[in-house]
Amino acid sequence: MEFYGYPRPDGGVGARNYVAIIPSVGCINNLCAQLEHMIRGTKAVRHDQGCLHPPADTDQVVRTLINLGRNANVGGALVVGLGCEMAKAEQVYEGIKATGKPVGMVVVHEIGGMIETLAKGARILVDLVSQVSAVQRERAGLDRLIFGTKCGSSDTTSGLSSNLVVGEVCRLMTEQGGRFIQGEICDIMGGEYALKKLSVDQEQGERIVDYVRDLYMRGYYVGADTRGCQMTAGNVAGGLTTLVEKALGANAKGGEVPIQGTLDYAETVPAKAGRYIMNFPGHGFENLTGSAAGGAIVHLFTTGRGAPNGNPLMPTVKLCGNAKTMKTMSEHIDVDVSSIIDETETLGAAGERLYRFAVDVANGRLTKCEILNFEGMEILIKGPVM
Amino acid sequence: MTKYAKQINAKDNVVTAVSDCVAGDEVVVKFGGAQTTYTCNQDVPFGHKIAIVEVPKGGRLVKYGEEIGSATTDIHKGDWVHTHNVLDDYMCLDKDGKPLPGQEG
Repeated sequence: MEFYGYPRPDGGVGARNYVAIIPSVGCINNLCAQLEHMIRGTKAVRHDQGCLHPPADTDQVVRTLINLGRNANVGGALVVGLGCEMAKAEQVYEGIKATGKPVGMVVVHEIGGMIETLAKGARILVDLVSQVSAVQRERAGLDRLIFGTKCGSSDTTSGLSSNLVVGEVCRLMTEQGGRFIQGEICDIMGGEYALKKLSVDQEQGERIVDYVRDLYMRGYYVGADTRGCQMTAGNVAGGLTTLVEKALGANAKGGEVPIQGTLDYAETVPAKAGRYIMNFPGHGFENLTGSAAGGAIVHLFTTGRGAPNGNPLMPTVKLCGNAKTMKTMSEHIDVDVSSIIDETETLGAAGERLYRFAVDVANGRLTKCEILNFEGMEILIKGPVM
Repeated sequence: MTKYAKQINAKDNVVTAVSDCVAGDEVVVKFGGAQTTYTCNQDVPFGHKIAIVEVPKGGRLVKYGEEIGSATTDIHKGDWVHTHNVLDDYMCLDKDGKPLPGQEG
């Protein structure tokens, strides 16, 4: 098996061929939305950050925006700045330009108002889309695939079916040389030592435990025991007994595949094949952004009750093991794995099926959330908002 | 109608019901090419766990091949396993293995 993707000047291979419109600050989301509406082939990555953060968070926003522009699904980008924000548009522009992709920039304060900026930005985008749309899909090895994963709107079936099926895909795709990004530190809590055991480097494994400690202490400072925030009454009613059990069910999305290393939020995944743990949260918007910024070109999103959300730049495959949800929410779900619950398909066969579907998506097949335009985005912020 | 439960790892001493089971039901577990039948001692709803071996008080319950908690009473083969007979003893620990603050009780 192989796939057909868009080759990028930095060696990446994309599943999509977008021109990204990247605001350096949330104040100009509206302008970016207007540009996206006006110019075909573009995706605005609207977010509400970029100003009045502590320096570490400003750095995190800039890193995220650069790395979204570096994602192989992006062929070119227009960076839009306001002019007074902490996350500098020039820095984002230079960071993306270093990949060799075509990049433009407009700054509202320099041009003078939204209307003129819209006109100038639109003209740049016309050129960028014309240029980027000329890129043809080319044959690429499966070793060029980068997948991310998460679970959302989970139920009992998630840890018994869909997460295990993704674990199979993690094994299959990393054996072929692919890279796989997992995270959701809130869900790892309780299962951090199990992941540490799977780490090829114990220092990296200890970082997974540190991510959990950091999350726990951030909860503690606002008076919460984040262990209790994880186990809901619904989880217990559904049959989950302990936090460790819940965590292991979430961790199962990587199966027993060895962990090559850890990544800070939105950090680029290293070139080496295998499974990586990123310090991203469970919350879908920040999570998918972290995965896309890490380099994932397709995301595998397991759901029990039917989570509809996706990301503007990264196609998100929904899979579900709950037969009832498959009836009520089928327009949101791409792959039905309720066969695992009713014992009509083996885990291995379902894993192959999902892998093939994900490769189809890398080849251009649209996911349900792309078809429905169900996209949203946010960037993870850790410190206080000033 | 046949009742089923799922075993995930060879080391597991609990299986998870994927049918609503009532006391006395025979529950089929297909795992690793083999098929084993257990008898439920109590009602076990969909998604809840059944012990497949004897677990003495203080013994560890194992699912996904990992310990998920400890038995607060003797658990018998076929017993429903949940919060009434399992202690969730997870604590977030510092580098020296001491509990981080705020986890008392």
